Amino acid sequence: MNEKLARIFVIVLLLGGSIAIGISWWSDQVDVITLHARMPEEGGWTPADLTIEAGQPLHLHLTSDDVIHSFAIGQSDQPAVDIKPGEMTKLTLTFDQPGTYTFYCTRWCGANHWRMRGTIIVTGEEVEQADESPLYLELGLDIDAVHEAQVVPDEKPSVQRGKETFAQFPILNAQTYQSLDYYRSHSPEQVWQEMRGDEMLTSHTDQQLWDAVAFIWQSNTTPEALLEAEELYAENCAACHGVSGAGDGVFSGEQVPVTGESHDSQTGHEIVHATDFTDPYHILSTSPAASQGKLIRGGMGTGMPMWGVISTEEQTWSLVSYLYSFQFEEAQ
Amino acid sequence: MNKKRRVVQWSVLGIAALMVAFAPIPSVSTTPTERFFHVDAESFAYSPAILTVNPGDQVTIELASTDVVHGLYVGGYDLSITADPGQPTTLTFIADKSGTFRLRCSVSCGALHPFMLGKLQVGTNLLFLRGIGLTFAALLGVLFIRKPLAESEN
Amino acid sequence: MNLLHIPLIKALLKNRWPQFTIIVIALAGFILAILSGFFGTPVGSRNFGIIFVWIAWWAILMLVAVPFFGRGWCGICPIPAPGEWIQRGAMLGPRGQAKGATLSKSKGLGRRWPKRFRNIWLQNGSFLLVALFSTVILTQPRVTAIVLVAFLFVAVGASLIFERRAFCRYLCPVGGFIGLYSQLAPVEVRVVDTAVCKSHTEKTCYTGNDDGYGCPWDVFPPGMVKNTYCGTCMECLRTCPHDNIAINIRAIGTDLSVERNRKLDEAYKAFIMLGAAAVYSAVLLGPWGTLKLAAYSVGTLPWMAYATSFLTLILLALPGIFWLMVWFGKRLSDASQPTKKLFISQAYALIPLGLTAWIAFSLSFVFANFSYVLVALSDPFGWGWDLIGTAGIGWTPWLTNLTPFLQVGVLVGGFIWAAITSSKIASEKLDAARAARLSTPVIGFCLVFTLTLMGLLIA
Repeated sequence: MNEKLARIFVIVLLLGGSIAIGISWWSDQVDVITLHARMPEEGGWTPADLTIEAGQPLHLHLTSDDVIHSFAIGQSDQPAVDIKPGEMTKLTLTFDQPGTYTFYCTRWCGANHWRMRGTIIVTGEEVEQADESPLYLELGLDIDAVHEAQVVPDEKPSVQRGKETFAQFPILNAQTYQSLDYYRSHSPEQVWQEMRGDEMLTSHTDQQLWDAVAFIWQSNTTPEALLEAEELYAENCAACHGVSGAGDGVFSGEQVPVTGESHDSQTGHEIVHATDFTDPYHILSTSPAASQGKLIRGGMGTGMPMWGVISTEEQTWSLVSYLYSFQFEEAQ
Repeated sequence: MNKKRRVVQWSVLGIAALMVAFAPIPSVSTTPTERFFHVDAESFAYSPAILTVNPGDQVTIELASTDVVHGLYVGGYDLSITADPGQPTTLTFIADKSGTFRLRCSVSCGALHPFMLGKLQVGTNLLFLRGIGLTFAALLGVLFIRKPLAESEN
Repeated sequence: MNLLHIPLIKALLKNRWPQFTIIVIALAGFILAILSGFFGTPVGSRNFGIIFVWIAWWAILMLVAVPFFGRGWCGICPIPAPGEWIQRGAMLGPRGQAKGATLSKSKGLGRRWPKRFRNIWLQNGSFLLVALFSTVILTQPRVTAIVLVAFLFVAVGASLIFERRAFCRYLCPVGGFIGLYSQLAPVEVRVVDTAVCKSHTEKTCYTGNDDGYGCPWDVFPPGMVKNTYCGTCMECLRTCPHDNIAINIRAIGTDLSVERNRKLDEAYKAFIMLGAAAVYSAVLLGPWGTLKLAAYSVGTLPWMAYATSFLTLILLALPGIFWLMVWFGKRLSDASQPTKKLFISQAYALIPLGLTAWIAFSLSFVFANFSYVLVALSDPFGWGWDLIGTAGIGWTPWLTNLTPFLQVGVLVGGFIWAAITSSKIASEKLDAARAARLSTPVIGFCLVFTLTLMGLLIA
């Protein structure tokens, strides 16, 4: 009698407990996708490809298997959700528009954090969207070409001084130089060269013209855009490009290219360091269109990610304008 | 050694031990200064891992993570900051409590996270000195005062 | 004082149900640890397996069970249970069968444990094996689960091949040091009167009868003079027809004064434990990241350097220095005993030093990480459960301001204990003056060790 009781006790507790755990796990899986976040070296998002019908709720249980990650969807208002190690975060998403969405991690989880992306394919009747060609392609720019400014300012151009200088420009010239299209398609050096060659502006010094360029750059953006870009830069760019913009971020020297001879990759000779935004020779010879192109398309085999599916066009132009602020003295 | 002498010696040692353990030691007073530490956090250690300041100093710690998100928790002061790679964060406080305090990582950063430790030393490590003193007091007691077993059986 | 004179205690210990219940609950926890290790989150701090084995169980073991109850844990350990049930053919034991039935035949081969392994050298080895991989085991749930399954597998296998609790007595790495430290415990299981045993021919405490099994630890109760190998399983309580078994409360460290059965394997265990405490304090609790990574990256060159240093320190350096100290003491005191004998007997002074070192070390991380226990109870697998509502509490340090003071107290107390033990052991064969000279270098060794550990933990 006692022995029987003992055996029943053991079976109920152990077997019963195990079955209860199993059932609980199973019921958690119904209609739910458990998305594991891992450092890219350990597999990244698992699974990395999700499919859902438009209008249907996508129930996600997010957990991290190592360090803190977070989940965000590119070009979306969906706020980023932190995914903490060993904790389960529940998130339900519904997509109205069919298409391919990119989800990505927004908290640096190692040198390869930026590779941590996945896709959600939303099926349904797709609305045909006109595919706009990015500006650098329309202009025929080779954004991979090596370039160096021939002329650079002696001291950092000041937006404040530039404003005063620019106010003295003849109106027609001013309108040309300040227009959005002109700004986007010309590098600061090109604008300066054109100003230098402009008969109406011969009375201004080289530095004054550089100041005017700085002012033109500032006037083609807004304080709100710069603020948003500053945040975006800190979260996404500073880790490689550095807090100071000098290309000396913590991961700058760790971006081993994916392409290229395998031998080169292993010896690390091909490591391309992040661009130094404080280098006037490089930045002043880059047009906003080229910067935008680099941002959208990425660095082709370097560690520069492609942000085309992640950032909205507005965010991209904001970031572009922010990058030049490393070269120009902002107005207070 | 007769019993009376032994009792006296134990009493003296006992008082000495109590003093070593509890007597307040006036600390060498220093002018409070501002101190700045740039601390790199990588899995699984801080660099530098040992920060030494004087009591009263204003301490600023700039935490920069070099691989994943790390935190820094200052035991005893109950302060913590978190730093994402590329976004260093700063913590400023007055080191008004003396002693040795553990720095721990406060954000789960991988397998050895619970062992990611550092040390904040404010002033002298009195407890360690007292511990050493007590150990030597114990040594004296056992070697010289304690009544050996063989003798006690006589 | 014999605790069995208290009727409630006697009843609770003689009855199989209380012990059985605790064992089954422990077994459930053990299996949950294995399941969560294999199927739960790989994040150690949120996994039941890691938290409950290396924080909760370890704390209970090192801070309560071993210091106060010696091998008390062995009496309720779930690891040998399944194997023993198969071996015995019963879960609850003889009382569970119908009255008058004979003991069911052992379902195993029931072989005697080989003579050459009747020592704790295998346990020294198994502990070192676990120690070399400890950084990975302690932090990776899957690895802890594999280790636990391996223990279970070996324990069941041992029960099927050998008689009694062969795994517990000769293989279990935990048992190796619990046995050593049980010599310090303030409780002991002994016979009341050996004269009664002399006239009892069947010696059912060792051979078993209708009421219980013969000592699973292969111990002969009437001949027991030390706690080292008694697993407090209470079988002898149940089988003795003359009520001649007592559970006595006694002064701590009593067994250290027993001159009989001092052996080299136990002496070496003392060094293994001392060295491990110091190395763990440096690697796990120190600020040196390179050391931690070396200990963690099993298979790499840094790890091999770490493993080699670790083994050299524990098996060669520490015993070597101690041998030197004993040799000095022998010269100073002009003792006539062979150095090896002095080495072994003086090594027993390191037992209290080791226990207090491990207590001090455990205090560091147990208190700081105890909040994880509540989280693990609510969400053992890291699947988002919240069984008792504590899944969301963040990490909260507990008693961390008090810990260093406790550690100093424990370490100084351990030093005093070790020093006195060394003197006492020396006095067994020498007069007071010469005994003092023999033990002085040994006490010096204890002093340096205490200060080193204090430095690693407090400084």
